[in-house]
Amino acid sequence: MMPQRNSTMTQTRHSDPFRSVPRRTFLADVGLGFTGLALGAMLAKDTIGRATEPAVWQPPNGEPKFTPKAKSVVWLFMNGGVSHVESFDPKPEITKHAGKSISETPYADTQKPERLKRREVAFNVELRQKLYPLQIGFRKYGESGIELSDWVPHIGSCIDDLAVVRSMWTTDDNHGAQTQFHSGRHMLDGEFPTLGAWVHYGLGSINDNLPQFISMGQREYWNAKDGHYLGPAHDAVPIRVDPNNPLDYGTPANGLGVDEQQLGFELAGRLNRLKAIEYPNDPALIARIKAYELAFRMQTSIPEALGFNTETQATQELYGLDEPATCDFGSQMLATRRLIERGVRFIQVQHGAGGAGKWDAHGDLKTNHEKNFKKVDKPIAGLLKDLKQRGLLDSTIVIFATEFGRTPASQGTDGRDHHPYGFSVWMAGGGLKRGIVHGATDEIGFHAVEHRHYVTDIHATILKQLGLDSRTLEVPGRKRLDIDHGQPIDEIIA
Amino acid sequence: MLAHSNMTIPRDLWMIYLRIPTRSFVLVGVRCLLLSAVSSLSAEEQVDYLKQIKPLLTERCVACHGVLKQEAGLRLDTAALAIQGGESGAVIKPGEATASLLLKRVTTTEESERMPPEGEPLKPEQIAALRNWINQQAQAPAHEQPERHPRDHWSFKTPVRPAVPDLPSQTDSFKPQIANPIDVFITSAQRSRGIVPQAEADRRIWLRRVSLDLIGLPPTPAELEAFLADDSSEADDNVVTRLLESPQYGQRWGRHWMDIWRYSDWWGLGSEVRNSQKHIWHWRDWIVESINSDKGYDQMLREMLAADELYPNDLDRMRATGYLARQYFIFNRTSWLDETIEHTAKAMLGLTFNCAKCHDHKYDPFSQVEYYKIRAIFEPYQIRTEMISGQLDLEKDGIPHAFDAHLDLPTHLHVRGDESNPDKSRIMEPAVPAFLSSDALKLTIEPVLLPPEATSPGLRDFVIKMHRQAAEQQIAAARSAVEAAQKTLLESAAQELAAKDTALKAAAQGDAKSADNKPTSLPNELFVRDDFLVPNPELWEPQTGHWSYANGHLIQSQIGANRDAVRLKQLPPHDFEARLKYIPTGGEMWKSVGISCDVTAAGNELLAYVSSVAGASKSQIAFKQDSHYVYPPTAQQSRNVELNQPHEIVLRIRGTLLNMSVDGEHSIAYQLPAGLERQHGYLELIAFDAQVELLAFELRALPAELQLVEAAHSQTPPVATVTLTRVDELQLAVTIAQKVQTTAEAQLACIEARVAADRARHLGSESSRTTDLALAAGRSERVLAAAGADEELRRAELAVAQATADKKADADKKLDTAKATFETSQKAIDVPNEVYTSLSGAKKTQEDYQNRNAGKPFPATSSGRRSAFAKWLTDPRQPLTARVAVNHIWIRHMGKALVPTVFDFGRKGAPPTHPELLDWLAAELVEHNWSMKHIHRLIVTSHVYRLSSSSAGATDATLAADPENRFYWRMNPVRMESQIVRDSLLHLAGELDLSLGGPSMATNDESARRRSLYFVHSHNDHQPFLAAFDDASVLDCYRRAESIVPQQALAMENSSLATALADKIAQHMAEARPNAADSDFIRKAFLSILSVEPTANELATMSEMLNRMTDLARAKKRPNPEGFARTNLVHTLLNHNDFITIR
Repeated sequence: MMPQRNSTMTQTRHSDPFRSVPRRTFLADVGLGFTGLALGAMLAKDTIGRATEPAVWQPPNGEPKFTPKAKSVVWLFMNGGVSHVESFDPKPEITKHAGKSISETPYADTQKPERLKRREVAFNVELRQKLYPLQIGFRKYGESGIELSDWVPHIGSCIDDLAVVRSMWTTDDNHGAQTQFHSGRHMLDGEFPTLGAWVHYGLGSINDNLPQFISMGQREYWNAKDGHYLGPAHDAVPIRVDPNNPLDYGTPANGLGVDEQQLGFELAGRLNRLKAIEYPNDPALIARIKAYELAFRMQTSIPEALGFNTETQATQELYGLDEPATCDFGSQMLATRRLIERGVRFIQVQHGAGGAGKWDAHGDLKTNHEKNFKKVDKPIAGLLKDLKQRGLLDSTIVIFATEFGRTPASQGTDGRDHHPYGFSVWMAGGGLKRGIVHGATDEIGFHAVEHRHYVTDIHATILKQLGLDSRTLEVPGRKRLDIDHGQPIDEIIA
Repeated sequence: MLAHSNMTIPRDLWMIYLRIPTRSFVLVGVRCLLLSAVSSLSAEEQVDYLKQIKPLLTERCVACHGVLKQEAGLRLDTAALAIQGGESGAVIKPGEATASLLLKRVTTTEESERMPPEGEPLKPEQIAALRNWINQQAQAPAHEQPERHPRDHWSFKTPVRPAVPDLPSQTDSFKPQIANPIDVFITSAQRSRGIVPQAEADRRIWLRRVSLDLIGLPPTPAELEAFLADDSSEADDNVVTRLLESPQYGQRWGRHWMDIWRYSDWWGLGSEVRNSQKHIWHWRDWIVESINSDKGYDQMLREMLAADELYPNDLDRMRATGYLARQYFIFNRTSWLDETIEHTAKAMLGLTFNCAKCHDHKYDPFSQVEYYKIRAIFEPYQIRTEMISGQLDLEKDGIPHAFDAHLDLPTHLHVRGDESNPDKSRIMEPAVPAFLSSDALKLTIEPVLLPPEATSPGLRDFVIKMHRQAAEQQIAAARSAVEAAQKTLLESAAQELAAKDTALKAAAQGDAKSADNKPTSLPNELFVRDDFLVPNPELWEPQTGHWSYANGHLIQSQIGANRDAVRLKQLPPHDFEARLKYIPTGGEMWKSVGISCDVTAAGNELLAYVSSVAGASKSQIAFKQDSHYVYPPTAQQSRNVELNQPHEIVLRIRGTLLNMSVDGEHSIAYQLPAGLERQHGYLELIAFDAQVELLAFELRALPAELQLVEAAHSQTPPVATVTLTRVDELQLAVTIAQKVQTTAEAQLACIEARVAADRARHLGSESSRTTDLALAAGRSERVLAAAGADEELRRAELAVAQATADKKADADKKLDTAKATFETSQKAIDVPNEVYTSLSGAKKTQEDYQNRNAGKPFPATSSGRRSAFAKWLTDPRQPLTARVAVNHIWIRHMGKALVPTVFDFGRKGAPPTHPELLDWLAAELVEHNWSMKHIHRLIVTSHVYRLSSSSAGATDATLAADPENRFYWRMNPVRMESQIVRDSLLHLAGELDLSLGGPSMATNDESARRRSLYFVHSHNDHQPFLAAFDDASVLDCYRRAESIVPQQALAMENSSLATALADKIAQHMAEARPNAADSDFIRKAFLSILSVEPTANELATMSEMLNRMTDLARAKKRPNPEGFARTNLVHTLLNHNDFITIR
């Protein structure tokens, strides 16, 4: 069964975990009483862990399958599609041939029909031909000397901690690729669990007072949930970076004080325990008792985690909280660090939700990307630096991702279109190599040509660092395709 | 990359597999079993054929080398058959692994040679086990049985009503309690396993259980009391009858079947539909009504699949094909049909046809070819929306339904399921799978000749009437507009004269004072005035939204497309003047702010508001009638609204005449339509999708002497909104208004001509004049077009007259175009042409993004394929349909299924726990006209349904024999579905609106009080409270998940819904018994909410805690601390596990 995790999430349709428990033990454990403090040894942890029947399929036990190199994940996702050639994969050849049709340049072979065959097209997307010059300069950063654009000076200052993957590809030509990056499957395939849900399903809890899978910002396109066939228990718990109102239903609508509400929780707990004598061996009843205890603690533990008044001025400035442009995302990044510090397993932060995504620069790319990078560059760098100085980066993987890149050629006069053939992501921390570039696109950033990676390779890499193998996480009746599992990118693992 | 459709199971169903004992689990769990059993194998170890080899062969080889198929003449389902070999001779040489073909083929590195051909190669440890087994002489049990022929599978044979078994007579140790044959089957299965059932549950628990199960609402205290007082032998039956006859039964069970049939409201981008259909709620209403009237389950299926063929002129039944309309998916026709096939098979037949999309089914005798033959049944169908009485605008209402649009469209097999690779060498004819077909039970397809109205819905009388009425209304409006324009012209001319006169006089007298002589509002009694400087809870009651006082303003800060409102607690006078000053500060799109009045609990209201939606900002008067909002086009006015600037709305209302002015200018005069009565209701200040700061509000009775502007003045079509200053322009405006009238009159004539032509053509009326009438109809359309062109020409002239210098060239150009169009249309009038447009009565939903076949007429025949399929499906000899249905009903009463794999009764599915009971129930269903009420009654009046859900005191033998309660020795407690949680809360608080049917409620409507099945429910829209409790997935939901997560605790503890309803419950209790002692109150609260008496321990605990709650409330100086604590106690009981649990 799913012991450790299940301080927070319990499914009741599993085989009855209590059937082998002597009744006396059961009542004793149920009788722990409402404490309002940490859960302590929980009944389910002990008993479910013991009850193993080898022949019957069991959900994961919450333990890593091999020694993990990382404990937590910060998943940063830029909605709309970041131009790879103007961020992490600068391509001077584009500027050199600007204004020409790609077929008039030495890179005409990138346009061979067989190389352009898309496997999944949700809409008819026009091919963009006329090369559009880079809208921003670039330079070498750090000791590694990796070239990045001038829009990311702060992330650039962390370059020696990053592993940049410049050879990503995906198959969806439209923003369904957001779904694809999260779940590995094309939008038209249906709905599949996202990486965060798989991690949550596969690993137990680090802190029983906090939900283990948290999201900030909205993922609006197509499917906004995570668990899908793993069940809603594996959806991210959405929070807002507002200590006064961080959670849906996070504070009593009737204005009850904590002390008053605690009496209600205590009474519910006591009455439920009395019912447990009348109805012994009822796993749903036990799960409900525990769910109420965690709910009560979450009400205080989450606002506490989101309160910044104990943070120094210097720390707040590191995240850009003192500047209007960076304050919002900076707050999310600082909240992220505080949650990681307190033991949250997976934090998913979406930037630029709304419509197809704020990064979707079909026109006026320069203004669009300048503005968006201004908002995220410093806060992300702040997170990386802060995690590092607190010794948390070693156990935390930070990933910067987006659904696809943008066309080297122009759309209209000053934009770029969706581009699934080649784009970039980067990862940092969690036992990954530092200050390296892996994979490459061709000279105009069109196709990923060297060490090509489908989006699930990122999933496999993260799972491997967490000590999991997605092939051992399968659910009966939900056969996954090979491509769903992906291959870890061993070249970027330290 | 298409979805691998192999054996997909909804999210929670895999859990059910866990309850199957290891023996029967082999089929479904072999992979895992192998992994654990084979991993640590060394060459010397003795291989166990049954544990290590047979499962491997079953999993990876037998689908092609077994009883279903014998590729290369080889079968591997027994060791003997494997050794015997196939066309290539023996594949196993016992003792000589390296010489065995089997081993060669599984180990070869040659991709094209390697077995198995699909999926990953065998793992090294699996190959090692095979090698060792062969080397160890390939031993196997002596009497190993080959796979049975799939036709012999239990569920593929027509159920025969089983004899009810004899039970041994009553002894001391065995006293069977038999209410009906269900108990005999159940008891018999328990007896043979030494299982002893628990005692009956308390009668109160039975009442709560049966009430929640049948109508989805807990019993009221009065119902509980009446039931306990009734000690007659019919007491229980009477309850069951009452519940089954309640309309709430249809709402409860309608929602269950909506899960199974994947009910979904439409979603899309803006107004564009991508999935399901607008107004699909008509199908939901059909489901609820059908269940309430106990329409036979077979008849329901027939109507859902083919009402358009079976009852082409019965629009009520047509709603049923919403089942097919819901499958609509604009992106991909193959996905659309795949889902139709998959879920029709799973929901109605309990078969996984979808597994055969890319290859032959691995477990059931169903080939890939047969998959596409099923597809051919559905290939011709598309969706259209049919007009219904009372609404011409199909965007606002209409019945979406299926119809056969493409009778000749061929179906091709998709090679390996790849739609881009169809095998065009042959056409797949419609057929049902051979294994479910016989001489007696086969698909008989005959094309259906449709009545004329089905082909030309414009022929329907009510449709014609609506078109006529609309045209007549337009004419009337146009006439008033002409009069208004003429009046304005006259007044303006007079004013111009007077102004000249005044100016002359002023100049002469040098008197400047005369300019400022406007009449001011007459003094009259002020009813309410609030500057919002301080909170005034006596006056205002926030309804929805985030309202707060700051900077001397009342501020609404909630973001998003919500209706936010504060209500004036006093009722306003019948005729009044209300003034609202405010500053709109934001909003995503609509940014609407205004005043609503006549707001009633029944949902009526009149609204006057200003929207600053980009590009279309306007003032508007609107009203709500029969749960529809109506925005009369004659009650709106375009106007500029600046954000962050103060604005003022004045609403004056006398009787049914409304005047609205904005920022000091008269804006709209509107007369409520005849028949719409004023309601006595509240006044609210409203914001929709708007952040706003309210500055001041005044309300007074409308002075009798104050003249309101009559409505006709504002009914002038667009031209009235043009700011006209010069008399010649006003003259043009009169001309335009006259042209509008001419167009409207031409429209009516055109309708009449087309009706006559349509009737002649389709109904044979005046058939001798068919051609003449068609010619006349064609001409009438051209006359109409010419009238429209004339109107446009005049507008273009006006535009030229009003154009500023920089826009002049543009306006001239448009005028030239308008002239040309007008001349062409004039010349066209008398060119004879029989072509005309039939009156519209339905609209086809666009087939795809390219909108192919948009103009294709509706065919006069239907293929008859779906009705043939529906008849085959519901033939009593069909082995699966009734079994699948009774299993669905059983699980929703008993918490466990007779066949745990509810959508897979095939060979990979789990076998039934009680096969005879299942067949007996299926026979009962069929023989009682497929009455679902009959099955419900049997189940809920059985003895087994009465058992306690407690396992306390169960014998060790029982616990050992059946720890998972597969044999129903106790009841299975079930967590309420999300809808039932909300409905029960509302019901206990006396707030639930039990009305039936109608359009879906917005998910963010916090004031909604109707049952939860009426919320919008789609892939994209989720009601947040329901979502916390595992709402149904619209993709597939054969069973609900029953998760228990802390967010549910937070929703029950903290949501405004739960807290407000707890308040209401406590308030009702206090009102009913104001002097109740604590102990009485506690007992009563417990009984009301949980329907059972508290035990002494529970009473003591509650009493102690209530004292502590009261003490704390006193310490915190809460007003009425006793009442406060009691409310807290009530709220806590709503958070009791046994509130949300059906015990």
